[in-house]
Amino acid sequence: MAVDLAPAVTTPTPSRPTSKPTPRWRSREALTAWLFILPSLIGFLIFTAGPVVAAGVISLLNWNLFSSPTWAGLHNFARLGPDPTFWSALGNTVYFTLVSVPLTILVSLALALLLNQGVRRVAVFRSLLLLPYATITVAVAFVWIWLYIPHDGLVNAVLGWFGINGPAWLISDNWAMPALILMSVWKSFGFGMVVFLAGLQAIPQQLYEAGRVDGTSPWNSFRHITLPMLSPALFFVIVTSVIGSFQVFDQALIMTNGGPGTRTTTLVMYIYRTGFENYDQGYAAAQSLVLFAFIVVITAGQFLFQRRLVHYDN
Amino acid sequence: MSTMLSRRGFLGMTGFAGLGIAAAGTLAGCSSGPPPGAATWSMWSSSAAEKKVWDDFGKYVEQQLKVKSVASLTPSPSYPTKLDLQLVSGTASLVTALNGTLIPTYAARGAHRPLDDLIANDPDFTLDDFYKTSKSISSFNGKTYAIGFDVAPTVMYYNKDLLNKQGIPLPSPTEPMSWATFRDLCKQLTKPGQQYGFTCAPAIDDLVSWIYCAGGNVMSADSSRSTLGDPEAIEALQYVIDLFVKDQVTPPIKNLVTESSLSNFMQGNVAFMQNGPWQVVNARKAKFDWDIIPFPAGAAGSKPRVSGSSFAIPSGVREGAELDLAWKLIKTLTSTGALDIYAKAGRNNPARLSAGSAFQPPPDNLGIVQEILAGKLAGGHAFDVTTNWNQVKQLLGQDLPRTFLGQVSVPDAINGLTPRLDILMRQHLDTVRQATARKG
Repeated sequence: MAVDLAPAVTTPTPSRPTSKPTPRWRSREALTAWLFILPSLIGFLIFTAGPVVAAGVISLLNWNLFSSPTWAGLHNFARLGPDPTFWSALGNTVYFTLVSVPLTILVSLALALLLNQGVRRVAVFRSLLLLPYATITVAVAFVWIWLYIPHDGLVNAVLGWFGINGPAWLISDNWAMPALILMSVWKSFGFGMVVFLAGLQAIPQQLYEAGRVDGTSPWNSFRHITLPMLSPALFFVIVTSVIGSFQVFDQALIMTNGGPGTRTTTLVMYIYRTGFENYDQGYAAAQSLVLFAFIVVITAGQFLFQRRLVHYDN
Repeated sequence: MSTMLSRRGFLGMTGFAGLGIAAAGTLAGCSSGPPPGAATWSMWSSSAAEKKVWDDFGKYVEQQLKVKSVASLTPSPSYPTKLDLQLVSGTASLVTALNGTLIPTYAARGAHRPLDDLIANDPDFTLDDFYKTSKSISSFNGKTYAIGFDVAPTVMYYNKDLLNKQGIPLPSPTEPMSWATFRDLCKQLTKPGQQYGFTCAPAIDDLVSWIYCAGGNVMSADSSRSTLGDPEAIEALQYVIDLFVKDQVTPPIKNLVTESSLSNFMQGNVAFMQNGPWQVVNARKAKFDWDIIPFPAGAAGSKPRVSGSSFAIPSGVREGAELDLAWKLIKTLTSTGALDIYAKAGRNNPARLSAGSAFQPPPDNLGIVQEILAGKLAGGHAFDVTTNWNQVKQLLGQDLPRTFLGQVSVPDAINGLTPRLDILMRQHLDTVRQATARKG
């Protein structure tokens, strides 16, 4: 006898007609949430999404700000290819990012690890180390110009104590960019340090205790416990630092004005000059869209790697 | 009756209160602005002393026009950017101050209106009283776009005490010295590390005076090509750069951003500084005796750059009462009475011949400024610029400073710059053609 293994089909019993449940997005809580998100959303649409769309439109125009714009099609994008200053600015920006981001992260992480070693009055040190980040770049840049003065600046004076004849930092072909990077690392390590410190303090101590019981060396403990547990913070700092580095502008403008030659001309500086000093809004918009695309691609790449390298508790 | 405020109610109230405040702020922002019928004008101002002069201008305007004067003052570095935004957004003042080097840039793009019709229809106004170079600086494409308020040639400041201490006779205030004499003097006055012969900014603004004196220019007469590679210009560039690199008679360049010839000179250990009479007001703070002499003469004589500033009317000011008020305002701001206020404050040489130069000594030789402008002594050369001068200046600002640092030779720098400068010259000619066509 064949056994029917199919689930028994039950005839639905007619139920009482009920009122349709309110969709979640229309619930009172959801509406309250929307109300609170609204100012931020409006701000985003007006000041972030709007300008991106406007840049897209302007990049297709010839517009000198004062006269009526004329249609340019893709001409502004075609101008990028043979423009040596654009490529030089892009190269400088990539160089700045490739050197400054790893350096900033190393310094931030080292200081965070140091402060996490049960240092007394950690809040005082944390605040002091955060000061460069909290200070406005313009003020910091002027101080660093003074520090970098070739003959009697503090940096070269200190190097002189060790018998090193320091370079003419900000006016040297080879040293102007490293000088900017050094200043930028000093200016921005505080942010990463605070994030890392918070991350380190959230790592359960039981993991280290278990490691100690197993006889794990400090290096292995760092490699197999600290780094994986800190990876979300590390990922966050890398993403924000890379985006910030691609937008480097103020320190280069104030400390070197892009020189000597175009050695420290960054992409954002070139975009600003094209748009607001040369009155070439269409070309500036095309450049800014290229920068935008560059950042989007790199950030997307980082998120792809995140799946393999970042460890989340859940 | 008392009511309990729930958490949700409180949050709702704060939300609405926030929106209310934002709306009120927006409305308040919209309602602010000059009162109707006010005489609005914009100007750069970076010090209390400058602000005092413009306040006095404002009082003079109110006295003359019997309307409220509203001056929009902005620190000079950010003035052009703010002016651009105001012109684009239609919020610019009735009259705006312009640096002479930017007049062709704005005029060619239609940001300001020509004034020839207003001048022709006004029997009370004539340009005859303005220095020729001021009129030249304020014009573009054969039309007058602005009315000058100051104009002056570059001169040579010198430290009298330093020359006296070295037993060197003071240079003539009427006979420009030759470049060879100037170089020898600079060498004689230099004690490396302690004292220097000369200072100037390593930028095209200071180099053009030497180029004009050698008989050269930045661009050809028809502005179709760069002429920095011509022998005259090369000779001038090489001469100045040698003072820095070969003769080393200048204070060492510490950085390319905040380098200021005035601060070098004010330290008291530099014998000569090239600069305009607009620095007299600052040079008066020096703790040593100083004066001015004509610019050293090159192969073409002493022909330093003459630069100046003017007032213009934005093209958004179209017709009727508004244009009428703008014209009255520009006439008042550039009148002999207003420029006397300017001169008495020692800001700069006024653009009108009839406006008194009330500068008090020092410098004893201030009279040479007006004699140079009038062509009686040496002679000036109007600062020739293109409609894309910002770009030309930017390009030159990239590579020329490297010659001052000895990183690149003058011929190499110029050879590298010339093709790119030629492109900018062609773009300039296109802009002029478009501007001409637009005006029919």
